[in-house]
Amino acid sequence: MNILTNGNFLAILGASVAALAGIGSAIGVGIAGSAASGVVAEDPKKFGSTLILQALPGTQGIYGLLIAFIILNKIGLLGGSMAELSAAQGGYFLAASLPIGIVGIISAIHQGKVAASGIMLVGKRPEEIAKAMVYAAMVETYAVLALLISFLMINGIAI
Amino acid sequence: MNKISIIGLNDIKTELVKEIMDLGVVEISSQDSKLTDPEWINYVKKDGNENEVLNLDMKISNLNEVLTSLEKYDTRKRPLFSTRKAISSDEFDEAVLNNNSHVNENVSTVLELNKSFRELCSEENKLEAVILSLKPWVKYTIPLNMTETKYTSIFIGAIPSIADIEKLKAEMSQEIGKFYMNLIESDKDQFYFSFICLKDEKEDVYDLLKKYGFSPILFKDIEGTAAENILKYENYLKDISVKKEEIENKLTELVIFKEEIQLFYDHIIIERDKNKILNNLLKTDTTFYIEGWIPEAKKESVKVVLDEYQCWYDIKQPEEGEEFPVLMKNNSFVQPFESITELYSLPSPSNIDPTIFMTPFYILFFGLMLADVGYGAIMSILCFLVLKKYKPEGGLQKLLKVFFYCGISTAFWGLMFGSVLGDAIQAAAKLLFNSDFIIKPLWLNPMEDPMTLLIFSFVFGVIHLFTGMAVNAYMLVRDGKKLDAVFDIGFWYGFIIGIALWLFGNIIIPGSNLVGKWMTIVFAIGLVLTQGRAKTNVASKLISGVLSLYGITGYLSDILSYSRLLALGLATGVVSSVVSILGSMGGRNVLGILLFAVAMAVGHSFNFAINALGAFVHAARLQYVEFFGKFYEGGGEAFNPLVKNTKYYKIIKEDF
Repeated sequence: MNILTNGNFLAILGASVAALAGIGSAIGVGIAGSAASGVVAEDPKKFGSTLILQALPGTQGIYGLLIAFIILNKIGLLGGSMAELSAAQGGYFLAASLPIGIVGIISAIHQGKVAASGIMLVGKRPEEIAKAMVYAAMVETYAVLALLISFLMINGIAI
Repeated sequence: MNKISIIGLNDIKTELVKEIMDLGVVEISSQDSKLTDPEWINYVKKDGNENEVLNLDMKISNLNEVLTSLEKYDTRKRPLFSTRKAISSDEFDEAVLNNNSHVNENVSTVLELNKSFRELCSEENKLEAVILSLKPWVKYTIPLNMTETKYTSIFIGAIPSIADIEKLKAEMSQEIGKFYMNLIESDKDQFYFSFICLKDEKEDVYDLLKKYGFSPILFKDIEGTAAENILKYENYLKDISVKKEEIENKLTELVIFKEEIQLFYDHIIIERDKNKILNNLLKTDTTFYIEGWIPEAKKESVKVVLDEYQCWYDIKQPEEGEEFPVLMKNNSFVQPFESITELYSLPSPSNIDPTIFMTPFYILFFGLMLADVGYGAIMSILCFLVLKKYKPEGGLQKLLKVFFYCGISTAFWGLMFGSVLGDAIQAAAKLLFNSDFIIKPLWLNPMEDPMTLLIFSFVFGVIHLFTGMAVNAYMLVRDGKKLDAVFDIGFWYGFIIGIALWLFGNIIIPGSNLVGKWMTIVFAIGLVLTQGRAKTNVASKLISGVLSLYGITGYLSDILSYSRLLALGLATGVVSSVVSILGSMGGRNVLGILLFAVAMAVGHSFNFAINALGAFVHAARLQYVEFFGKFYEGGGEAFNPLVKNTKYYKIIKEDF
């Protein structure tokens, strides 16, 4: 049987696509982390505030995990007995995972860049950390929206 | 905020500045602009005592060094949050007076010890470097200072390890008659050789060796063999480390004086600030002039002091359009949230303090986004305990209070959504007793009914935005622009409510969509007619009016932004259930239960940390971007009164 018409395969593929948002978070956290090391080299006391900023691009990975988990839970993979899905149903899951999968990667990378600049800002003006955080949160908005739309789609799929 | 001007006689100046500092309610502002003002310049000079300030700054930096070095040797347990110790001002003055001489003595001792410690360290480094360079020559038994005999030359040096030593040896024996070369040591970079040759042939040997990259090594001022010297220097090093230890012991003994030195540090800080503020004063030969700001409510206490010192003074409202420093004034519940406003920017003098409007929404949104009984309770209890036990001051105190209130809200929404540490309790019951016990939400479970919560998120958002617009309308009315308030705020209210009713009204009240439709049309016409009123000709009035309807996209994106209330709330819940599922994988046995406990502890700590951060940042963002965008204008300067800006002791002025 052609695997691409296997609904269960497509649904699991969907979960994988959602979890790929972690790629973006890994890159974003990485970018922010290298900037943070630079700032901390000058002033080790800034570890705490730079760590907070470094953590911000990490949320997309969590959102991806979250959607992947909801899909797996919904198709019963985690309970041990997987539901028999039609190709269409599987395709729905795959389609629903795309927003968080794609937006997650891209937004996390860009959020990482903003967080890195924010870390530089904290290096010069430690009191302005809230502004740096809000700038990074502006980028995250779109990951939140993607998470929401993925969630609502999956929630609406009937199996 | 009132403007205060004071003129007094020079002989009471120091006393008065001290009194003003004790009161701590007057900001003395810089008067540099008056020095270029022709009306003033002929009469006044700038006051100030630069040398004294410099002198005190130097003392402060010395004391700082002393305190940091003592801190290193202080083995006593340090509290989690360092807070200032309370002390009455009489006790403080007395302590300064009594300890003055011996604090100075201790300070100079510590500085002296630090200096010799640094010297020993650099000596140590130097010796270590020399030992390192001698190391390759340990097996070389000729004294290093012996470079020749009557007929021969003796020298040592290094050849890079890439050189072909066999070829070198062959060439040497071919071209130089009598010579002696000995490989002493080799490492991965270099060979270390010693050579003996006839004095006459030394130049030839050198030339030949240079082709192989030879570099001679000379040890200046070293007598005896390498091994002897290494031994000698290692003994020196031992002496140094003994001396270092002695110094460290002495410093450890001096740790008991840390508190006294801290008190003295605070004293010097106060003195420095008193001298520094003189820069902001103007003076004539016999009088001085102070100008600054004072909060309206504190006027009387200052008047009493000024009368006592027989000063001339004038307290008045700032002139129209004059910039003045901003002091936010809120009740004790709202006050901690001033820190959230401060993080954005203080209100400009003509604007309004947004804290009181923002506070309920901040608490609500934070709670919705974290929404868990367990997390909320832990957060509130921890903050409460820290506040009670350590009594922190300033920004930390405010932040802890913010989190205390947000924790209560978090717990409340957790109850509404039936989330207690996610589904940890259900998972534990399932694992241990195989029961299907569930905690019923008081309102709804967002996982099962996300659409309802999404709609409520938007409703909360609309209320939030409308509140912001209402504040804007209030300010417009206050400034006498009543019509602007009606056109710019009222019409938008009608338009947005109209659209909402038109699209969704039927769900709640059947038939109301028709009302919505007509509201939308009427207010849209209203907006088209009024929004171009600043333009002069009719055509551009109309065009701006029509274009203004495009502003609805701004409102739409603002409202949609509140969907994060649902999304982040879901994130907390789902990560919790991931933790529960992972934890339950071990099954019902000892190892499984252990795994469950560990997964719960680690997973929930992580989930709490990341989602509390998210809730904090996103609740702030909704205020800063969506809410403040509707009315708020920052850019105010903080009110910065002359106070005792001490670091270690909190000086309390006792009442008479």
